[in-house]
Amino acid sequence: MSAATTSPAKTAKVSTATKVSTATRRGPFSYSAERQPRAWLFLAPALFFIALFNVWPLIRIFVMAFQTNSLRRPKFAGADNFAFVVADPEFHTAIANTAVFAVVVVPMGMVISMAIALTLNGRMKGGRFFEALFFIPYLTSVIAIGIVFRYLLNGDYGVLNFLLGKVGIGPFDFLNDPRLNMAALLIFGVWSCLAFNIIIMLSGLRSINRNYYKVADMYGATGWQQLRRITLPQMIPMLTFLAIVNFINSFKVYTEVYALFNGKAGIGNSATTAVFYIFNKFYVDHKYGQGMAAGVLLFLLILAFTLLENALLKKLSK
Amino acid sequence: MAITISNLSKTYSNGYQALKNISFDIADGDLVCLLGPSGCGKSTTLNIIAGLLDPTSGDIGIDGHSIIHEHPKDRNIGMVFQDYALYPHMTVLENVEFPLRVGDHRKPKAEAERIAHRYMAMTGIEEMADKKPGAMSGGQQQRVAIARALVGDPKVLLLDEPLSNLDARLRLRIREEIRRLVKSTGITTVFVTHDQEEALSISDRIALMNQGVIQQYDVPQQLYLNPANLFVAKFLGSPIINLFDLAYDQSRKALTGPTFDIPLDRLDRGRMRDGLARALASGKVIAGIRPEHFLVADAGRTPDFTVTIDSVEMIGRYSVLHFDADGVHAASTVDARSPIRDGDRVGYVIDYGDIFLFDEQGTRLY
Repeated sequence: MSAATTSPAKTAKVSTATKVSTATRRGPFSYSAERQPRAWLFLAPALFFIALFNVWPLIRIFVMAFQTNSLRRPKFAGADNFAFVVADPEFHTAIANTAVFAVVVVPMGMVISMAIALTLNGRMKGGRFFEALFFIPYLTSVIAIGIVFRYLLNGDYGVLNFLLGKVGIGPFDFLNDPRLNMAALLIFGVWSCLAFNIIIMLSGLRSINRNYYKVADMYGATGWQQLRRITLPQMIPMLTFLAIVNFINSFKVYTEVYALFNGKAGIGNSATTAVFYIFNKFYVDHKYGQGMAAGVLLFLLILAFTLLENALLKKLSK
Repeated sequence: MAITISNLSKTYSNGYQALKNISFDIADGDLVCLLGPSGCGKSTTLNIIAGLLDPTSGDIGIDGHSIIHEHPKDRNIGMVFQDYALYPHMTVLENVEFPLRVGDHRKPKAEAERIAHRYMAMTGIEEMADKKPGAMSGGQQQRVAIARALVGDPKVLLLDEPLSNLDARLRLRIREEIRRLVKSTGITTVFVTHDQEEALSISDRIALMNQGVIQQYDVPQQLYLNPANLFVAKFLGSPIINLFDLAYDQSRKALTGPTFDIPLDRLDRGRMRDGLARALASGKVIAGIRPEHFLVADAGRTPDFTVTIDSVEMIGRYSVLHFDADGVHAASTVDARSPIRDGDRVGYVIDYGDIFLFDEQGTRLY
């Protein structure tokens, strides 16, 4: 301080002198609290594989989307692939199905999950047991569950039709009637998103301060008032997270379709989805450029949806 | 409203006996502190009054009317939790009017707001009506919590360690504010704390609890000057009271210890209690002498004993002299201007009129 007031030139000299002396003392791997280049060493393996399997394919998708459908001698094709995909009626079905899936499965799945999570979180005997029970599907292969659902939804001997028959509805041939294929997929979709949602929601519910409810109880707030005025506002960050994750997962729906219709996309591709379309274009039709163009379109769609949803939920939480 | 607590017991489902048959009365408009160490049962008592816990047995009456089978909302009680439990997603106004906007008798928005504003003005948080609790200091949050507890015009206010989340200086100010506030509204208040200074400064009466039993229920002054037993004497007072195990020497008619003796004829006969003779016969007595009752002997006066000072601890208004009384650590207080330093030899006179004697069970004898 006193040096600065006496002579600026002198302080400058002093500061460079100290810089040099510390630099000579510090090797590239000596300790520094704020800069630890060694971290790159630990990150390197992960970064290598991420680059190889995530980043590079991502770049290739954008490149291939503008090339002809040849892997050997691809030529620049301009927007031809996009023009084809946008005009393809099968792509329209795929996008429409995906949108229906997202719009139906996400809200329904979240409402049902919330109801179950609230029940499990209440003062219930055996809550832990049911919690474990609801989590098991998350650990099970979607293909295996799909096989079970094929039995449940079977038109001749399925349990669902048996139950519907009891109340005088049906029978419905969910798996073989193209008009019902989407309904079957939606039922399966709602069911498969429950496990993850319930676990996340339960952890959210448990993190709410118990005293909030004690105060509310003291003033006679009803269960509904407590849910609306305390629980839901407190859960907004978690519900936002789940809504976004669920939406993105819905746009990526593929395995569920594959498992439910035995590797097809329903009868006559009636339950085809965006990812199923991409997969078929690429591996079945060998239209690589068109497949990648559809991939880019899906990417843009998800991006737009996520941004919109984020903005909407932000506004809602205020 | 007067509160009557009679034969209250609480045993938790894990077998822990938190309350053992406690009874006491709280007069209308009184501010009563439940004071004691962790696990003494003070919070259990408060939660039972609030209706958040069921008693195992016993009864609580408010103005002679038993409330233990009533729902908390019907007890007409306001409560402030230790962590305030303010709703972080609501503004101050929404928090304060919350009790008026829920339940069977919810009031219209305009009326609830008017009432809420009155209590916010009373607690001095009116300008913060649109702020969220997260943007406020601990002291301000505290006031929001109190305003919310009072807004329903309850008959009884319960405060569960409301000052423990505040820094030391703010604690002093807020406790005065709380006292002024509850006294001005005339509401009967029960205040739980483990801080003796807080309890002594704020209460009309203190119920000092230990291990589920009320040790003494009295005005603060009496609790300090006239403790019912050894626990009370030990719990109150800073620095802590000095305790010495003394033996009774029948031939010299004196209680004898390694450092000093207490001749019986120096004691005030009027303060002797019934159990003293029996304890003397058993030969063992515990003497409790507060640090301020070890007086540094003036020149010319014969000291009762002389010791070397180990260390001098400066507190502010006074200094604490630490010394070793033949294996027992002891302390005395002197004026801050005292010239005594570490290692000095000091002669002490014992203020016999103000010492306490206890038997081995802790029962007060003198």
